[in-house]
Amino acid sequence: MAKKNYDDLAGNIAKYVGGAQNVNSLFHCATRLRFKVKDTGKVDKKRLEQLQGVISVIESGGQIQVVIGNHVADVYEAVISTTGIKGQEDSGNAAADSGEKKNLLNVFMETVSGIFAPILTAMCGAGMLKGILILLTTLGVLTADSGTYRILYAAADGVFNFLPLFLAYTAAEKFRADKFISVAIAAALVYPDITAAFGAGEALTFLGIPVVLVSYTSSVIPIIISVYVLSKLEILLKKFIPDMIKSFMCPLISLIVMVPATYLVIGPIADTAGSLLASGYTGLVGLNPVIAGFVLGLFWPMVVMFGLHWGFAPIVMNNIAEYGRDTLFTITGPNNMAQAGATLGVFLKTKNKDLKNLSGSAAISAVLAGITEPAIYGITLKYKKPFYIGMVFSGISGAIVAACGAGAPTLLTTSILTLPGYIGQGFAGFCIACAIAYFGSAIVTYLFGFSDDMILTPEPETEAPEETAETIETSEAKDAKIKLPVNGKVIPLSEVKDEMFAQEALGKGAAVVPADGKICAPCDGVVTAVYPTGHAIGITSKEGAEVLIHVGMDTVTLDGKGFKVHAKEGQAVRCGELLIEADLNVIKAAGFDITTPVVITNTDDYAEVKMAGAGQKRAGDVIIHCVSE
Amino acid sequence: MKKFSYVIKDEIGIHARPAGMLVKEAKKYASKIVLGKNGKQADASKLMAVMGLGVKCGETVEIEVTGADEDAACEGIRTFFENNL
Repeated sequence: MAKKNYDDLAGNIAKYVGGAQNVNSLFHCATRLRFKVKDTGKVDKKRLEQLQGVISVIESGGQIQVVIGNHVADVYEAVISTTGIKGQEDSGNAAADSGEKKNLLNVFMETVSGIFAPILTAMCGAGMLKGILILLTTLGVLTADSGTYRILYAAADGVFNFLPLFLAYTAAEKFRADKFISVAIAAALVYPDITAAFGAGEALTFLGIPVVLVSYTSSVIPIIISVYVLSKLEILLKKFIPDMIKSFMCPLISLIVMVPATYLVIGPIADTAGSLLASGYTGLVGLNPVIAGFVLGLFWPMVVMFGLHWGFAPIVMNNIAEYGRDTLFTITGPNNMAQAGATLGVFLKTKNKDLKNLSGSAAISAVLAGITEPAIYGITLKYKKPFYIGMVFSGISGAIVAACGAGAPTLLTTSILTLPGYIGQGFAGFCIACAIAYFGSAIVTYLFGFSDDMILTPEPETEAPEETAETIETSEAKDAKIKLPVNGKVIPLSEVKDEMFAQEALGKGAAVVPADGKICAPCDGVVTAVYPTGHAIGITSKEGAEVLIHVGMDTVTLDGKGFKVHAKEGQAVRCGELLIEADLNVIKAAGFDITTPVVITNTDDYAEVKMAGAGQKRAGDVIIHCVSE
Repeated sequence: MKKFSYVIKDEIGIHARPAGMLVKEAKKYASKIVLGKNGKQADASKLMAVMGLGVKCGETVEIEVTGADEDAACEGIRTFFENNL
């Protein structure tokens, strides 16, 4: 798919989630765009699902999850850059104004996935490197005391050793605490001097209070709690500390309070809780590994289906911190293979060309990248039987994995490529379980799980008539992004107090209430019309969009007074070049509205012309998207 | 092809609003409608081009209409000019 299509897709996704105004924040995981919206009622799930490039749409955990597939990062970039929707990082205090009441489970899920998902890529890479190193030392290619091994091991273990630092950052993002103070607290927890004291079993006291030292390297829970408390503390501090000394007093007090508090209270409590959690999980699985493994494996596809699997990340991370390895995601690992296998079965069986393409790529993505969403939503769940077959084999494989005690030293997404990550105890059993899951599901699906009769002919899409009418008259105009020509507040055309503009009779677009009088070129292009009085100027963008900037309402009657034109007709201009200097005071003094519409006069040449978001913006921000078909 | 010329009487000439209305009117017809002023020409269905002419009060505009419905188009545009400009 070309990049351009992502822009279209991004635009459509933004439209159907209710526009940028309806979105509090957006982030993405391996396959999904996860929107937090103000009003889920404004989300057109049906239209969203029908978009080419969208695999499925799920409402879960207080989020609208749009399942895209492996290229979700590209689509995410397109959404962020072409629509007014903001990524999670810069959403600021937006989450506060979510109108929806969230239940505790949803909040928990959201928090957990927000904290762990961003770190996953780094951990996956490091985890696989660990597996490869184990393989190389077992084969005798490298020795554990060689420099090569030690440097590579540092690369593989760094993320885990200093995990609190990473978690501090993402947790700070989630709880809206100061990111770098949070990381500073984490850094203090893994500070070499204290780590050494813990290693040597030294007894430390803090102001006479004995400190129960625990190991903070690779720890998970202490720093998350610590950052949460910090976020509350910061609110208090900001309230009571005078503005003048805030900039240094806040961080100073935060550090003085939080680091000892973590060492004295949060750390030991969290450590105990972590041990309990880990031994609780181990105890449960230990009761009867085969049954526990089967049940976990059986229900895992459903957990993934609802996007809840990230809720288990703390258990997994905690297992790794406590025991150095995790078995939970290992038991559930072959599920990927089972779904991939079931999809492969469909691929082999079907004669339908579209389905063959779809199932083929979904099967490959599941097997190679461990990304099962396209397989689950696109194929197995759609035809149900393959999904159930996958579930059963996932259960069987889970039982095998649990029985042989396989585990991984890191959070891994199971796929052929990540198999080295599981090298260690029970590795052979894990491979066998994966093979059974994969081939078993494929064979059973091929034989019993699918036939082409199950393909439903999709209902013909009934588009709104106006949209089809718009597309008839397309010429060769290409997609264009039109930028704001002047600093100010962007408003929809419908709010302009002039009928011609408000009814879009001159074309679709947006309007700006300028903050200053410097009107600049909204795109690269050629000046095609300068009205003699200087109050209006037309630029044809290099893509063919004809942009009319009309400074103020009825300003034609000023007959040039207050306008200084810096461009002439036929002149090529670069985006941001000064075109007109308007004296806003003169316009206001004459009793005119300074609202400046920016319209695409050849709107008819486009399938869609839409504004990118309202509010205070700076010159150069994208305000209008012209989309050709 | 049909032709006529018209002297603009509206005080402020063909600015954004009348230009928009003119374009709307011109688009009703299949014929190609071209406005000319001092040797410069503009397709009447293109707002930007019409505005680019910068027609002011007292100036003469030449209108050329070519196409299947040129009679009706010519009359329609003439009426438009007389009523609005």
